[in-house]
Amino acid sequence: MKHPLTNNYKLLLYYSLFWGIIATINIILQVLWYNVPITYSLLDSGSNYILYPLLGSSIWYSIRYNSLEEVSVGRLILFHFIAASILCGIWVYISYAIYQPFIYDDNKFLKDGLPSKIFVGYVMYIIYLVFFYAVNYYQSLKEKIKKEVEYKALIREAELQALKSQINPHFLFNSLNSISSLTVSDPERAQEMVINLSNFMRYSLMHNEKEMVSFSRELDNIKLYLSIEKVRFGKKLNAEFEIDAHCMEAEIPNMILQPLFENAIKYGVYETTEQVTIKTSCECDGNALKISIVNDYDASTIKRRGEGIGLRNIRKRMEIIYNQPDLIKITDHKTSFEVQLVIPQKQAVS
Amino acid sequence: MSEKLQTLIIEDEELARNLLRSYLKDNPDIEVIGECENGFDGVKSINEKKPDLVFLDIQMPKITGFEMIELLDYKPQIIFTTAYDQYALKAFELNAIDYLLKPFSKDRLLAAIDKVKHRIQNEEPIDEKLEELSNFRPGEEFIDRVVVKDRHKIHIITVDQIRYIESLDDYVMIYTYDGRHMKQRTMKYFETNLDPKNFIRIHRSYIVQVENIAEIQQYEKESYIVILKDKDKTKLKVSKTGYKRIKEVLHF
Repeated sequence: MKHPLTNNYKLLLYYSLFWGIIATINIILQVLWYNVPITYSLLDSGSNYILYPLLGSSIWYSIRYNSLEEVSVGRLILFHFIAASILCGIWVYISYAIYQPFIYDDNKFLKDGLPSKIFVGYVMYIIYLVFFYAVNYYQSLKEKIKKEVEYKALIREAELQALKSQINPHFLFNSLNSISSLTVSDPERAQEMVINLSNFMRYSLMHNEKEMVSFSRELDNIKLYLSIEKVRFGKKLNAEFEIDAHCMEAEIPNMILQPLFENAIKYGVYETTEQVTIKTSCECDGNALKISIVNDYDASTIKRRGEGIGLRNIRKRMEIIYNQPDLIKITDHKTSFEVQLVIPQKQAVS
Repeated sequence: MSEKLQTLIIEDEELARNLLRSYLKDNPDIEVIGECENGFDGVKSINEKKPDLVFLDIQMPKITGFEMIELLDYKPQIIFTTAYDQYALKAFELNAIDYLLKPFSKDRLLAAIDKVKHRIQNEEPIDEKLEELSNFRPGEEFIDRVVVKDRHKIHIITVDQIRYIESLDDYVMIYTYDGRHMKQRTMKYFETNLDPKNFIRIHRSYIVQVENIAEIQQYEKESYIVILKDKDKTKLKVSKTGYKRIKEVLHF
């Protein structure tokens, strides 16, 4: 940390002004009230309020490298006693060197003032010490707060990064297996699936750059995802959409829907031999887009265990982005499962 | 080998079945005698047709490939197919059972078939390895269902349906809200794989679902019984350690 006086000119100005005013008041008092000759008064004030503040500013370095937390009390006192003595010695020596030409035998004001001057030197040292420790504390506190804000922003970013949906490797390998099969039986469809898979992957990788996308973009990606899964599951997977055209321009965090559909497939389609319908509907009023995703499931084979990691991540991500809890609601209707999302909108969608 | 291996394909995805079939089409060692789309049909088919070799997908609807193994009266050679590599790793550790990681090549498939032929020639037993494998559950901490087979039917019991489990030598009897089912598993298995917050081993012979306990009565000095919440008010003995466990879970 730099010296607060050289680093901050405003503070330096106040510091000079402060001592200047004290010196002026002192001179006026001494001359008018105590009838001290003006030369002596100037010398005395110069020594106390100009020379000491100049020398005293170096006390900063003695506290800077003797942090209260790191050094033991005994050592601290010893160190500052030595430093104070050296500073006092230099100050008194220079002061008297300047006084010398003006001291006459009959002058008691400057000559006899020596013991009290030394005492004042030590007391001033202590005042400086307190002052600089306070400045130091204030500065490091300010820096800490600043750093904390920075860290918080960093953590938020890292958290968001971690919460974003990662493509399930299981999905990838099974899709590749389907493609492998199609290359033998239907090369054209194999090619189509490779392209769909690539587009889906590209969207999921791109989302690191930009947080928000239009609902229509996110929906296109979901349809892509479902078309890939449909190649695997065939008639078992049936997707229905009921989307108001005017919701399309709403803003939505990207890749926030995909994990919900992945869940619907995992628990709905995967666990049964019947056809499963995943129904997506949405509505938007002035300041929010509401999305509902419902899938049937076979209650006889699985016991839904509430919220899995996928749903938890979405909940957290929504909380961080919108700073608002309860934007996701999960309802188990026993034969079907419903997830409702509320996406707040900055601009009213109409 | 003079005779072809009678082979069954159990796989829920049509495209995956197509691929396997096309790989096996001209293979001189293999004769595909059937295909099944789910675990239920798979169990039935294996028990009826007694194939030499089964290609078995692990992740399937209704019951998994592992759960299927528990239900087999007859155990054929098995080559697992899966995209989940944590399963495959375990299968590999066991070394006797081969697996194919999707997507796999025809060469990889042929190598797996060679291994099977070798095992059949050397008459290496497979039962133990299969049992060990079926005990393995990757990822999940506790089981959430048990599959059982009565004479003709397969039942899937979700754990919340289990009232209590009684040990019967090599078997256990699982009492549910609508009946009871026998299963070849150890008490130890259920003790470690059921969530101890919900299921307590109250005695050498009993594991009880906490929800189902109506009261705990002192029976003699330092000996207790639990009374269950059913209309017969079933009474079960509690051992000393069992009593301690109940106290821990119910905090009294």
